[in-house]
Amino acid sequence: MLWFGLHLPALSLETFSALLEPPARARPVALLARHRIAAANAAACERGVAPGMKRATAVALVPDLLCGEADPARDAEALQCVAHALMAFTPAVTLVPPEGLVAEVQASLRCFGGPAGLWRRLAEALAPLGHRIQRAHAPSALGASLLARWQDDADPPRCLTRAALWPAPATPGLDDPAWAELHRRLASLPAAWLASDATALAALEAMGLQTLGDLKRQPRSGLSRRFGPGLLHTLDRAWGLAPDPREPLAPPLRFHSQVDLWARADNTEALLAGAAVLLGRLVAWARARHARVPGFRLDLHHASRLRASAAGEAGRHVSHLEIGLAEPSADARHLQAVLRERLAREPLAAPVLSLGLSCDQPVLGPSPDGELFPSLAGQREGLLRLVERLQARLGESAVQCLAPQADHRPERATALQGITGPGSAAPLPTVPRLTRPVWLLPVPQALPERQAGPWLGGQPLHLLGGPERIETGWWDGELVCRDYFIAQAPDGPLLWVYRLRPAPPSGEPGWFLHGRFG
Amino acid sequence: MSLPVTPPPARAALLAHPSGLHPALWRAHGSREQAGSSAVASGFVALDAELPGGGWPVRVLTELLLAQPGLGEIRLLAPALAALARGGRSVMLFDPPAELSATALAQLGWPPGQCIVVRGRDGVRHPSLRRHLPGADVCWALEQVLRSGQAGAVLAWLGAAARPDALRRLQLAAQSHEGPAFLLRELAERIRPSPAPLRLSLHTAGPDELAVQVVKRRGPAMSRPLHLALSPVLSERSRARALALRTGAQAPDGTLPAVPAPALLQAEPR
Repeated sequence: MLWFGLHLPALSLETFSALLEPPARARPVALLARHRIAAANAAACERGVAPGMKRATAVALVPDLLCGEADPARDAEALQCVAHALMAFTPAVTLVPPEGLVAEVQASLRCFGGPAGLWRRLAEALAPLGHRIQRAHAPSALGASLLARWQDDADPPRCLTRAALWPAPATPGLDDPAWAELHRRLASLPAAWLASDATALAALEAMGLQTLGDLKRQPRSGLSRRFGPGLLHTLDRAWGLAPDPREPLAPPLRFHSQVDLWARADNTEALLAGAAVLLGRLVAWARARHARVPGFRLDLHHASRLRASAAGEAGRHVSHLEIGLAEPSADARHLQAVLRERLAREPLAAPVLSLGLSCDQPVLGPSPDGELFPSLAGQREGLLRLVERLQARLGESAVQCLAPQADHRPERATALQGITGPGSAAPLPTVPRLTRPVWLLPVPQALPERQAGPWLGGQPLHLLGGPERIETGWWDGELVCRDYFIAQAPDGPLLWVYRLRPAPPSGEPGWFLHGRFG
Repeated sequence: MSLPVTPPPARAALLAHPSGLHPALWRAHGSREQAGSSAVASGFVALDAELPGGGWPVRVLTELLLAQPGLGEIRLLAPALAALARGGRSVMLFDPPAELSATALAQLGWPPGQCIVVRGRDGVRHPSLRRHLPGADVCWALEQVLRSGQAGAVLAWLGAAARPDALRRLQLAAQSHEGPAFLLRELAERIRPSPAPLRLSLHTAGPDELAVQVVKRRGPAMSRPLHLALSPVLSERSRARALALRTGAQAPDGTLPAVPAPALLQAEPR
């Protein structure tokens, strides 16, 4: 078995910083837990802020310190998201709270090109989440997670990245090299990590046991008597002498995630940082399920008092934004672009405090293959993405394609319809041989009648062709009875005019201009 | 002072075809041969002969100036656009001046499903649009489409939104658009400068006939307008009637041709 261990040393801080707007991320940032500094970023540490410091001391040192509250639930969600990103590569991923995870990758090595290739793919998948990661390899799960917590092992010896047999050979000397290397490395880790509580920690220190190697060398019965059987069992699991079953994490069937914005968002720009975090999680979840997202819903939780006064809809403090895509996608950048255009179109009803994102029905199945050479289907997909962006800003009904309808009434013979799915070269529809102008006026223009003929702009129209009688539509209450003629304006262009039938009473217009032959 | 060291035969060949030196070079006295610039055949041989590159230019804006919609501009563009659409490329129309008839387009050989109509929000009155410039949406959408290079061809009726700075932006964006891009503008814009390298003005020349005058092109000026026969709308008989009207406008029996009486039409079997 071969386990990858990942440790995210600055998870809490990075999760918090991701919610800040980009300019604020360079400022000194610290997280507080019970009025003490729990974590501080590099800019803050440079100026003397250190974990464990009281809040007042830190603010005295760095007056412009940006303080956030540590939130274990927020960290857990971010860790879950990293686990989802890993699940695209292996199904056996287990969380090691609060800041680590382990993944069994032996079965995936061949598919992704060995440990180095797999790490490269993992790094690509994890890069958008923006976490600093310490990695390690080991033949045991607990060993991998302990080694990852100790230090980043970018270039491990070959024996460690090779899968080893389990369990570890009990006799030293006949060791599998992977196990030998693991035991050697584990021996130098601090023993305090395995202490279950403060008493055990004090006892370890009193006995002068600094490292796991020291612990391992003690008589087992004595250790068991002093620290309980738990410590011994943990040691055995790390060394690979006892089984260490792990329940793999399963991605939820539906995605829902929520973040509290750091500051109240009054405009859409401020929302986008939070929305980007959520979209990153959505994409990681979709990848874990090997699915694509056909659309999602963004819930904007408003400040209640402001919400009620701004829009007059008291009692509803959440507004929803449904975003549907023409083509399911698992591309965070595309989703972000669509969301950005949509948010730019719709003004916020009230300032937003927190955001929720949910997706109920992912489209399962692998995404279509990439293409080496540009093809028609690829172009069509690019066009669909473009149309989505236009629709997100202008509205669904603003970007449509034409479709002929089987109706003789000219105003109903053409419908506008949404642009859907990838299509091939569209076949030419069979249409009747009728004379129809390209341009149809949305509302027919009444023409004055003089000398038994229609006039336009003070000049008579010459009727050249026709009549074509259209008398249909009695069944849906839109009966038309018209005689259509092709007319020529005095300055040359051809027009399509009609005369109502039967002729209306005198004084009402009987002739109408309906189209132009463009 | 000596020229760069180039063997004389090679230099002579380069001077004979200077357009081979750089794609931006073109000949002022010969409009036909243009290396480096591809074009889409317009479907009219006489027009192709006049257009630089031998057809509608791609990657640049082309302006068509016409007094009003409905002179035959769609029938002029239809052969080129229909060929693109039949090849599976989409043609996008921005803010067309009226509704389009799918039947008419299909008769011109243009699949209506490949015809995408984009309309701005100018018709919508919404408090959030108070700061909204007229036509800004369409300009934005057109620029996005040109930049993405996903559309086969675009036709845009920008109206007042076609300000000089907007046109320059569009002309830049068009460089990544692999297809013709037409701006249809008012005839009055003819006297104003524009960054589009090809500008044509369209006039009606008779029934199913269009006169095309080159306002600006890379190459010599055009002395007289080009008369093109469009795909006919009129039947032979109607056409003859129209020609008779034009030659002898004052026909002995008045200017109006005979219109069948409504009573007679009603008697016809359906």
